[in-house]
Amino acid sequence: MGLSSTATTIVEGIQFCVFDLRRGQHEGQELDKILFFFPADLPFSTQLSVIGLSEGLITFTRIFSPDAACEVIEAERHCHVFYEAEPDIWMVMIVEKNKEPEAIWRTDALRKVLKEVHFLFVMFHGSMRVLLDKEPGGGLARSHLYPFIMDYLSDFLVGKKLMLPSFRDCLKERGTVQMLTVGREAAIEVQSLVRVIESCAGIIPCYSLILFQDLLVSTTLSPDDTVNLFTYAVLRLTPNALSSGASSWSYLRKGTASHVATASILAQSGTVAEQFYGPGETSPVGDNGYHVIRPLHHDKWSRGRDGFLVTDIWGVEPGTWIPATPTVLLHQTGEKMYLCAHQHKSLTMIFLLPVSSILNGEQGVSTVKQQVVENAALKMLKVEEKLSKGWGGENAYHVSGYRYLLVDGDRNISRASPPGKVATLYKESLLSLNKLREEVDLDKSRARGDNDEHEKELEVSIRAKNNAWVIVRITRGKELYLVLEKANETLLYASDAVEKFSNSLVSAWEATSFDVTLIVKIFLVVSGYDQFVVVDLIMGDLIDDIKRCSGGGDDNIALGKLKTAH
Amino acid sequence: MGQPNRYNSLCMFTNHFRLIIHVYALNSNLATPSHRYMKILATEKDRASSLCTYTEASDGHSTGIVDMKERKTTSTINRILINCAAQAKEYGGCVAAKVPEVERDMCLKEFLALKSCMQNVWKLYLIKWNFLYLEIAVGSMQRRRLKEMSGKASSSQSTVGLNGSGALSHVYIKYPPLKCCIPGSRGLFYDDGNKLLLSPTLDQVFSWKTAPFAPNVTPTCDSISEGPILSIRYSLDGKMIAIQRSTSEIQFWHRESGETFTQSCRSESESILGFFWTDSPLCDIVIIKTSGLDLLSYKSESKSLQLVDTRRLNVSWYIYTHESRLVLLASGMQCKTFNGFQLSSAGIIRLPKFEMAMAKSEANNKPVLAAEDVFIVTVYGRIYCLQVDRVAMLLHLYRFYRDAVVQQGALPIYSNKVGISVVDNVLLVHQVDAKVVILYDLFADSRAPISAPLPLLLRRFPRSNSSGFRAHREDSESSEAHVVNDNEINIYGDEWTFLVPDLICDVATQFLWKIHLDLEAISASSSDVPSVLEFLQRRKLDVSKAKQLSLSIACTAILEHRPVSMVARAIDVLVTSYSHSHSIKTGNHLKGTKSEKISPSAVPHATDPRSSADVSASRVEALGKSIRHESTAGVRGLPNKTLTFSTSDSEESTSPDSVRANLNDLHSVDGKGDRGKSAEPSGVDQLEPGNNPLNASASELQESQLTSPAVSPDEMYTFVFSPAEEEMVGDPSYLVAIMVEFLRSANLEKVKVHPNLYVLTLQLLARGERYAEIGLFALNKILEPSKEVAMQLLESGRQNSQTRKLGLDMLRQLSLHHDYVLLLVQEGYYLEALRYVRKHKVYTVRPSLFLEAAFASNDWQHLAAVLRFFTDFLPGFRNTSDHTTYYRILNEMNSSIAASSF
Repeated sequence: MGLSSTATTIVEGIQFCVFDLRRGQHEGQELDKILFFFPADLPFSTQLSVIGLSEGLITFTRIFSPDAACEVIEAERHCHVFYEAEPDIWMVMIVEKNKEPEAIWRTDALRKVLKEVHFLFVMFHGSMRVLLDKEPGGGLARSHLYPFIMDYLSDFLVGKKLMLPSFRDCLKERGTVQMLTVGREAAIEVQSLVRVIESCAGIIPCYSLILFQDLLVSTTLSPDDTVNLFTYAVLRLTPNALSSGASSWSYLRKGTASHVATASILAQSGTVAEQFYGPGETSPVGDNGYHVIRPLHHDKWSRGRDGFLVTDIWGVEPGTWIPATPTVLLHQTGEKMYLCAHQHKSLTMIFLLPVSSILNGEQGVSTVKQQVVENAALKMLKVEEKLSKGWGGENAYHVSGYRYLLVDGDRNISRASPPGKVATLYKESLLSLNKLREEVDLDKSRARGDNDEHEKELEVSIRAKNNAWVIVRITRGKELYLVLEKANETLLYASDAVEKFSNSLVSAWEATSFDVTLIVKIFLVVSGYDQFVVVDLIMGDLIDDIKRCSGGGDDNIALGKLKTAH
Repeated sequence: MGQPNRYNSLCMFTNHFRLIIHVYALNSNLATPSHRYMKILATEKDRASSLCTYTEASDGHSTGIVDMKERKTTSTINRILINCAAQAKEYGGCVAAKVPEVERDMCLKEFLALKSCMQNVWKLYLIKWNFLYLEIAVGSMQRRRLKEMSGKASSSQSTVGLNGSGALSHVYIKYPPLKCCIPGSRGLFYDDGNKLLLSPTLDQVFSWKTAPFAPNVTPTCDSISEGPILSIRYSLDGKMIAIQRSTSEIQFWHRESGETFTQSCRSESESILGFFWTDSPLCDIVIIKTSGLDLLSYKSESKSLQLVDTRRLNVSWYIYTHESRLVLLASGMQCKTFNGFQLSSAGIIRLPKFEMAMAKSEANNKPVLAAEDVFIVTVYGRIYCLQVDRVAMLLHLYRFYRDAVVQQGALPIYSNKVGISVVDNVLLVHQVDAKVVILYDLFADSRAPISAPLPLLLRRFPRSNSSGFRAHREDSESSEAHVVNDNEINIYGDEWTFLVPDLICDVATQFLWKIHLDLEAISASSSDVPSVLEFLQRRKLDVSKAKQLSLSIACTAILEHRPVSMVARAIDVLVTSYSHSHSIKTGNHLKGTKSEKISPSAVPHATDPRSSADVSASRVEALGKSIRHESTAGVRGLPNKTLTFSTSDSEESTSPDSVRANLNDLHSVDGKGDRGKSAEPSGVDQLEPGNNPLNASASELQESQLTSPAVSPDEMYTFVFSPAEEEMVGDPSYLVAIMVEFLRSANLEKVKVHPNLYVLTLQLLARGERYAEIGLFALNKILEPSKEVAMQLLESGRQNSQTRKLGLDMLRQLSLHHDYVLLLVQEGYYLEALRYVRKHKVYTVRPSLFLEAAFASNDWQHLAAVLRFFTDFLPGFRNTSDHTTYYRILNEMNSSIAASSF
């Protein structure tokens, strides 16, 4: 374990572990619990102490809240983010609070990372519990988890550091899909294409997902499966992903770093890990005991001559050199599906065929592929042309003067200002927003805890230190986060600006419109970015719901403009 | 699929016996097409038929004739068949090979080869061919019709197949003809300017109106003086009669006053070839002389003609049709140099001089073009000239433009004598010697015929509906003798004259026939749905029939699960046609169909269907009903195809007398609905296109409810999608795909789609639980927002809250404030609803609803807020019982809270 010190310095401050509470309950078997640990070269004692602490916290909080144990523990120097991926299987991320200016996180964003890696894992390998049940020794699960999570984390490597989502990413929402706004005519063309693809499969039920660049155009999958496949497609399948290394504007990839380089950095830290987590050590059968598929392995996909994307990740057909068709599990139905992806210029078309319905395996899949090429090629050309014509480039959804994030929680859709534009914001604005989002997250999780089906409407406007307006509006499942840096002094002005934005957005994203106008609103505007009080007064003085955060701050409260609608 | 074997029948009729060759082709869809049979059926008059079966192995080796009941005549047939075995095999093989995709005029080459072979052999036996035809009998319409009639038809299958009226055809004339027999008639003349048939006697002239065509029209009579008559024409206002007495003299009659005068020319240097009246503003009458044209105008004061203009030309002969207002003057040695003038209301247009193409048979033999070989044809408002080239056996086609004459290809002809008719813009080339007619649609650039050459059919109609079938049976049994003996109906007899545009005059019998298109048969002869629909959509005469056929073809294509791409093309055709007709038309038609619908039972009581809009609506409704029945029958009918195929038309001929009031077609359309259940022959008349009032009136009365067979999106919904949805079982995704194609097409053509269609799409998607797609459809506005759509989203959203929200959002976007607020309150979002009420000033929702909702939430603060809201903003609320009730409740709540807190 001599390398451990160097390894930890490379990826400092971040630990990531997966463990199973049902395992290793006896003295001396504690190692059994650990399914994954990063960095892997930490001494087992350290690993066990981290996991022990987490386990203790979980056990303790369960006394009070048996259904939902702790979500986050803020210690003096560390922050533990918990996520119960499957019953008793926990994923914990520990980030170090240091004095570095960038080390300010939003815990919900971190939890979304845990969630995403788990969802992707399940999509390709099935649930961890099933893997554990299949081989009670845990080797199978470990050998799958290790390369998978390492591949996943490599996407976060920038230079030599793991760059987890920080406050700078607070105008982004992980676990959502970004949609391309298309006109009616193009939308109909797209739907027509979807039907053609469907009809190519004949009576076999077939799902499809169509992306333009890194944006979703159409899906016939359930929202969860759409998010998973979309995430994977953007990570590995879209034209941007295929030409990896090229700059990208998608939030899913940091982009600038070369994956080859980053992979080697992770591999460096992984050399020791192989001994425990890798297939080598724990596997009872030896090196080749498990054929581990690494769906997130970099640079493994390429575009074939017929337009279909091919990879050898899933091995080759026995006896041939034809790469086997990838398979995925659907979250909703648990069905195993063949994944076929076809790409024409910027248009990526993914279709899923149930493994159980295709009797003659690869041959059946290639028949359908053939059909698709024959019947849909022309339509694809047309759709691609139409979409590229209507596409405004990566800054298409920029609204000048505003930096925004719009989330439709019902459909897992989000839209945000382009990252390049967000980068122009002052740090103070972003920090305020980060704080505000933390509060909103807390509020939301509280509502979830109350099992309150009634969706709240919420509007908060605060003034940051740098005089920027940071605004959140929540209406019936839709969330809007706004940063206005060049806004005027008055709240009235800010409110008008929001109204204007909502209206302009109506044209950009049709279904979302915000018409929350409180009958009487009193905003108490706070000058300190981390202290604010919101008084949401409906109907004069009848209802007051005062949310108080971070210790009163009475001195700092300044009464903003009183706005009375009508 | 289990489709029935498709077969083709090749029928040959002779004077003495007729022969039907059925070419059976085993459905080549099957993996192993084992044998192809050629079944030959021969009968002599009313004697028993003899049968031989010609079996051909699939490898092409003839195994010979297997079975034969010996008769003297059949040995002849046999010999012919043996002589023409190669051609027959070729034709049979060609048909069999193409059978799943039967096209119009498929295997025409092979067929003609077989025909000529048989004809040649036959000639050896000195037997004259009278009749020969071929039908490629495939098509869903035909099958459906067959199914409907199979019950009756099976009983008479053997005889009906041999019946003249039972033969398949695409064009027919209908019994009874207009009989213009006048004792002492001195010939028949046709005045195409007035569409009058004239029959002068010694001192009188009888005239029958031919438009609208009615067989029992009574002639009007004018007295004229005695003398030779070369030609006779009424003036366009009907006041004058002009009679060409000789090559130098034309006599004019004033009908009212009886005054006469004559116009003559210098007989030594020139002679009058003919004359015609014109509606050109320059002149009233044009006289064609060998030296050129004389344009004259009539001066009523002086009762004389005044020469306005002359055009000096050498003229050998001329042709003129009033329809085109075009006169063509032939000159030159071969009479193939033409000068043309169009005398339209805009003035006189002189066409550039042009020459017609003539093939030479030998070096020194130059054929001379005769007037009978040149035809002026008006199709789709374009003027064509058709010229027969006897040497090349081609019919050359010239199109006239204002400043040019362009040859546009040539059509093959198979007969020395050719007749040309135009029915509803379809060009009919009668191959008189071969006794078949070939149809061309000149709209498309393709010069391929619409369908295979088929004979002209004579349809006989029994007098009454109830005895129709019986009469027909008797008729069919005795028809043999009837047709042969009855010289008066000699199809394509030597005495037939083809009048412009769609009349046939049998000079021998003095019968006038009107030619009709059998749209149903034409559309049934092709399986190419888009092109059939294109053809139907171009029809102007029998609009309701074309429309009905279009709808049912579209519906059937969907029910038969034809490939989406093909149905999409078909839909494109319909939508494009609608958008074009819609942009030209006034809203008249649409208003008519959208007006209130009365029940079909009330239709017979309507008095004037042409003028009242509601009848047109009911007609549409009745139409839809019939289509629905047809489509159901069609689906069930598919697997049950039998030999009785060729009977379908004979069944049709049981239709009632064509002379009927306009109400007839309403009746008959209605009757169809009943027939769906009982298969009674009573409703068959509905299939008979000639009944339509538009048929006769289209040229005269432009204003009629149904001016175009274009199908509006509403009708698409009512008659295609809605029935298809009812019939469709299983996965709705196919229909969704079709709907998407329809929406695409409608969007491209900027045609507005009725919300019903969107609602149906939503229902189908929701049935498949495809909520993700519903979201996309709604978000991308593929389903245009409307209240109906919003309500359906709410309805479908009972199982899916996101979909429900989409519905709510749509309501809000549509500014349907009342519904939106109501729904918000119902879902418990009463505070949000109140804010909305305040913002949009929606005070139509009862306050008690809000108060109840707030009370139910058991939150006294909320209740107080709601109460206060109404007290503040709703004038007079303080005095309502709601206020007092809830005020009291609130006080009680308050006091109890106060009590508990202490």
